[in-house]
Amino acid sequence: MADKEKTKKFINRLKSRNIVRPMVNKMYAEGVTAANEGRPLAWSMVNWWEGDIVMRAMGVTPVYPENYGTVCASTGMAQKYQAICDAEGFPTHLCGYSRNHIGYAAEMKKLGKIPPDAPLGGMAEPTFMLGSGIACDTRFKWFQALRQYYDVPVWTIDTPSYDHTEDIDSDIHEHNIRHKVKELERFIEFLENLLGKKIDMDLVEDYLENQEKVFQLWWEINELRKAKPCPMHSRDFWTLMVPGYYMTYDKDALNLYHQVYEEVKARTDAGIGAVTPEKYRLMFAELPPWHSLDFFEKLAERGWNFVVESQGYHPPEPMSLKTGDSVLERLTRWTYWVNVGHIRKAKEKNYPLFGPVQYYYNWAREYQVDGFITHSLLSCRTATFWLPHAANILKEELLVPSMNMEGDIVDFTVFDPDLVLKNAEAFEESMDYHRGERKRKGLEW
Amino acid sequence: MTTASLHGFAKARKIYEDRGLRARELKAEGKKIMGYYCSYPPLELITGMDFVPFRVQGSINEAITKADSSIPTIVCPIIRSSLDMAMKGKYDFMEGFVTAHSCDCQEKFCRIWEHELKLPFHHYIDMPHVVRENSFEQFKEKLIMFQKAMEAYTGRALDRERIQQEIRVHNRQRALVRKLYDLRKENPPLLSGAENLEIMIALMCMPIEEGSIMLEEIIQEALSRGNGPGEKDTRLMLWGSPLTETNLIQMIESLNAHVVMDDICVGTRHYWADVEATSDPMDGIVKRYLSEIKCPRTFRESSSTFEEEMESRFGYLKDFARDWHVDGILLQSVKYCDTHGYEVPALKAYFEKIGLPAMYLEHEYTMAAEAQLKNRVEAFLEIIA
Repeated sequence: MADKEKTKKFINRLKSRNIVRPMVNKMYAEGVTAANEGRPLAWSMVNWWEGDIVMRAMGVTPVYPENYGTVCASTGMAQKYQAICDAEGFPTHLCGYSRNHIGYAAEMKKLGKIPPDAPLGGMAEPTFMLGSGIACDTRFKWFQALRQYYDVPVWTIDTPSYDHTEDIDSDIHEHNIRHKVKELERFIEFLENLLGKKIDMDLVEDYLENQEKVFQLWWEINELRKAKPCPMHSRDFWTLMVPGYYMTYDKDALNLYHQVYEEVKARTDAGIGAVTPEKYRLMFAELPPWHSLDFFEKLAERGWNFVVESQGYHPPEPMSLKTGDSVLERLTRWTYWVNVGHIRKAKEKNYPLFGPVQYYYNWAREYQVDGFITHSLLSCRTATFWLPHAANILKEELLVPSMNMEGDIVDFTVFDPDLVLKNAEAFEESMDYHRGERKRKGLEW
Repeated sequence: MTTASLHGFAKARKIYEDRGLRARELKAEGKKIMGYYCSYPPLELITGMDFVPFRVQGSINEAITKADSSIPTIVCPIIRSSLDMAMKGKYDFMEGFVTAHSCDCQEKFCRIWEHELKLPFHHYIDMPHVVRENSFEQFKEKLIMFQKAMEAYTGRALDRERIQQEIRVHNRQRALVRKLYDLRKENPPLLSGAENLEIMIALMCMPIEEGSIMLEEIIQEALSRGNGPGEKDTRLMLWGSPLTETNLIQMIESLNAHVVMDDICVGTRHYWADVEATSDPMDGIVKRYLSEIKCPRTFRESSSTFEEEMESRFGYLKDFARDWHVDGILLQSVKYCDTHGYEVPALKAYFEKIGLPAMYLEHEYTMAAEAQLKNRVEAFLEIIA
């Protein structure tokens, strides 16, 4: 009986999510196979799609050390790799993903081969590394630092920091897109020189068309989650991040999102929620504790349904930005739009503007959330920086309370699930109180 | 007491001890003070609009009591402290505030500053992280936007001739700072590292031309005084994140060592490079601020081999070490500074390769850890000896 209770699940997970695991396995296996067959392999930062499509069209197989951080965290290998990184002299406060990967790379260098115990078959030695100027400094400093182990070229695709400029100059988007197109042109030149071949722009366009269909479906799935009860839990969103972030060029990803859409739509039409009963609708910021995802079952048991999450990893809003129509402009415009679209949307809806925390404000209203859970990450300043500010805005503007849980994306030792559960009870009282306050002040929910 | 009767070292000390003193005097005289953060907002454009630039900094001596409600404790403590001081009214003389995308934390901090402080003028300068031809074009667009924003705010235009004039004024100050640094090439140096940092910080809290006069006075005083820092066995260079107080250098110099050179942004990074004369003066400004400031926040194209890349990234430090007769390097960084943190192993390896001992010190932006740091520096000095 006790065992049965232990395994009882309170989150009604999507069946279609089961398609994802073989896709992830395929992604890692492809990387090792490419290296074994002498084909170019890139270690790549998440680049919000623009670099991925270019690399794929050049016959490069990218693998993603940030994602590998989540894999190593969930399999318990991250502690070992982080310890190696520390021993190599890197400060311990650096990004957990990077410490994991630097440790992995140092270990692989020492062994002269992929470590035999590396999860999912590991990542082979790269032909080059692709950094990104999006989101944080770590995402180009990390690869620059790795060059002392693997002396391969490092390229960084730079990007403007979009959300600060929206109000300043109406022409700014055009300047920024023009700059981003040039960044892609330089990257293509770099690849052509490195690999001794020309890019096939028709293939870029084919991949882009597939990606645009994935974005549309993925966005529509998330729109369906505004339903009460919410038909899809954040856990399924996080599972779907991998194909949505790394495989948008792939027909298999499009097929997956079709199936997910159908399942979520059917649930919405039938009024089926991901958590029953849905007592509280929660928004989660930012990246989850990958090592302890089952913890969300305990919150689901209390009726907590996580209806929206992880602002940095959602698909872009449908495009309403007009610049040029070249393939590279179309491609990079999506990468740009993912950080600008929500501000444009807020303007259209006459919401007040809150810069980089606009996502949370928009979502709190649109998903009608009762509470905001902030996951402050010991080793990720970027994901953590905004959290108190966002929590203040939501409380002041929308009477949505927040609760913080301390933890990390990689290091499980700093996460205390018992403490979170203890705090959860008091937080429910706060959510109940603020529900009444919102009603009293005439807010929509 | 006003600063009017003070000169040279005494003036620098007074302003160092009360950073806002001169700014408040100037405000009372009707001048407009523009706060800025880090070394990247182009000061030529700020002074060209008749603002007095004032560098916002944190303070190791002030407990953070307000900013933690807006910024988490795991981010750069200098940034947290800066916001905290602003929220407590320590920078209430500022009419505006300008930041640039020098690092990730700063990009985010400026938005929170804008929300919390609501100054009449606020501007964020987006700047590329890489240095390519198109990066210069992009940065120029962003600086023109900055110029337009100030013009719209003040209602007056900044013309090309005025920018050229400002470039000359700032370059003159940079030349004087280099002359000041030359005083520490001597053995024993004519200036201590702590004195030098006091002067640098004071310079950033006063009008440029007034600062240049103060520098000339200080150089004359240092050349003529008989009580310089005296003989010590070891000459060190300090690299790393910003220092807002002299305590770390004072601790080092309380031992048998001089800090004779630095690579920090309240030192050489801020002042070393001139703006080149270009037909469009904005081009010279763009080049200087994007590519000539040697902060690890900038990604420079990777050369064909890692060895070559290290030389192109760190070679200037070898020149500093040679010209200032440096015996060892102290790499220091405040905790939670990612851009400096990633640099440490490669930099240590570089110094090892060129035969210079180096040690990394990470600190918490508090006086509390000083005894522990002192033990480590003592051990390092013994190794060098």
